[in-house]
Amino acid sequence: MTRVRVTAPRTAPRPAKESREAAQDSEVGQVFVRSLIRSQLRLALVVASGFLLILGAFPLLLAAVPGLAETRVAGVPFAWLLLGVGIYPVIGLSAWLYIRMAARNESRYRDLADDR
Amino acid sequence: MNPGVALAALAVVSLATAVIGFYGLRISRTTGDFYVASRTVRPWWNASAIGGEYLSAASFLGVAGLILLSGTDALWFPVGYTAGYLMLLLFVAAPLRRSGAYTIPDFTEARLDSRAVRRVTSLVVVLVGWLYIVPQLHGAALTIRITTGLPSWAGSVAVVVVVCLTVVAGGMRSITFVQAFQYWLKLTALAVPILFIIFVLAGNGTPALAPPVANPTGLAPAGLYQNVSLLVALLFGTLGLPHVLVRFYTNPDGQSARRTTLIVLGLLSVFYLFPTAYGLVGRIFAPGLARSGQADAMVLLLPGELVGGTAGDLLSALVVAGAFAAFLSTTSGLVVSLAGVISQDVLGGGVDGFRLAAVVSALVPLGFALMTDSFALAGSVGLVFAFTASTVCPVLLLGIWWRGLTDAGAIAGMLTGGVLCGGAMVVGAMAGASSTPAWLAQPAAWTVPGAFAVMVMVSRATVHRVPKTMSRVMTRLHTPERPLATER
Repeated sequence: MTRVRVTAPRTAPRPAKESREAAQDSEVGQVFVRSLIRSQLRLALVVASGFLLILGAFPLLLAAVPGLAETRVAGVPFAWLLLGVGIYPVIGLSAWLYIRMAARNESRYRDLADDR
Repeated sequence: MNPGVALAALAVVSLATAVIGFYGLRISRTTGDFYVASRTVRPWWNASAIGGEYLSAASFLGVAGLILLSGTDALWFPVGYTAGYLMLLLFVAAPLRRSGAYTIPDFTEARLDSRAVRRVTSLVVVLVGWLYIVPQLHGAALTIRITTGLPSWAGSVAVVVVVCLTVVAGGMRSITFVQAFQYWLKLTALAVPILFIIFVLAGNGTPALAPPVANPTGLAPAGLYQNVSLLVALLFGTLGLPHVLVRFYTNPDGQSARRTTLIVLGLLSVFYLFPTAYGLVGRIFAPGLARSGQADAMVLLLPGELVGGTAGDLLSALVVAGAFAAFLSTTSGLVVSLAGVISQDVLGGGVDGFRLAAVVSALVPLGFALMTDSFALAGSVGLVFAFTASTVCPVLLLGIWWRGLTDAGAIAGMLTGGVLCGGAMVVGAMAGASSTPAWLAQPAAWTVPGAFAVMVMVSRATVHRVPKTMSRVMTRLHTPERPLATER
């Protein structure tokens, strides 16, 4: 029995992946890939800017309505509830929406690539 | 508080960490196990581990301390720490997993087909890691000094020793279990005491919110620029953190990397409710803690201050245990990812090289931590985020989404961001917190766009250097795995 020294592959390319890429080397394949990347980037940018708009609206809301920041809800000032609690569901919802849409983009791509 | 109780809490956390680490040793055999847990970690485990690793001294102690000092302005810290993961999900998670690389330097080398880019990325990643470990060790020093009365260095040294033992023994596989355990420990350790405190206080009615305490740090209140710049640093810094990214390689495929991130977001959102609650309760009921100049220790002192007696001692012990879990988990996560980078680049891979690299990557920041003093933990971690956002983040984002990136552009951009942000940090540290202008104290708002601009311009000028492998790599990054790996 021989001992084999196990070393780390530097970039770890895998045979299965190589074939996945080779299948897309044709002109048409590249068109599909480019359109997939474009739609994923557009989706990410839309979700990110939507989230940032909501985030930016929070302090604006507090500044626009005088006295709102100090209003107590169950003893806690509203400003604290908004920034300390209210923002997290917005983050989670954005993430959930993104994951659904990203998976949809990918399955659309898969359909196109398989039809060929 | 009672030093014996605090010491016992420390011993239990360290022992639990070591035991879970050694248990993991039995199932880590190959180099693959050591580096990335063989990519078979389930999303819930992985997400708990990411949460455990990410919630550092800054989150556990620093956020509550800053909220005590500066009120709602400091709420941007936990929001930014969490929203950074949203950015990571949107722009990085799945493509990075699909790249098939082990570390960030692996990724940049594969994407840009250049050894030089790899070396620069490695250098930046190691710098980021070391900068990030130092505040953890400061937090440990502070905790030991406040709770046991032992000299500060004992805390830093204890963390480094436990981390080295765990990492050297088991690598990433055992680290995954340790980190996952530590997320839940940290959550419990913050949640139980504050709920108890609120329960005790509920009978007494709510006094008026104390006006902002007489600004003990001497810092001007944060203006719009500082809040925006901080958010830029936190949003874009998270997606370049080496210990966070290395976790994504342990997902089986791109879609599960996304699902893991969603769970992480949930875990972080729940966690950050508690430092916020500490900050608010501290501001209302114990504003005196801010004046002592040790706001970072507020979480540790609050149970003793507001509950007292045996119950207070027990709750304090729980908080101390959670704090140490925070230092241990973040430090060991960073050490694992740094050791991965150093051992592959300098020591040629292999398990022995990994062990040696792990010890080196823990000892260097220990030396630095022993030579320096801690200032506000959340603030110094915020600066590390700014540095990451100015260096690793541009090369990742442009590498994943822009076909035109070249090796020359990547190197020029990383160096520009590193020099600008690093320079601002050094000048700011020398000038002292009170005399540093806002644009130097929070440099991210101009260093991040600067790094992006240089990277794009130099890449445009060197179009002929776009690697031939580019479209292959882009295809691998963005196309879903087959067969339908998402249906699981």
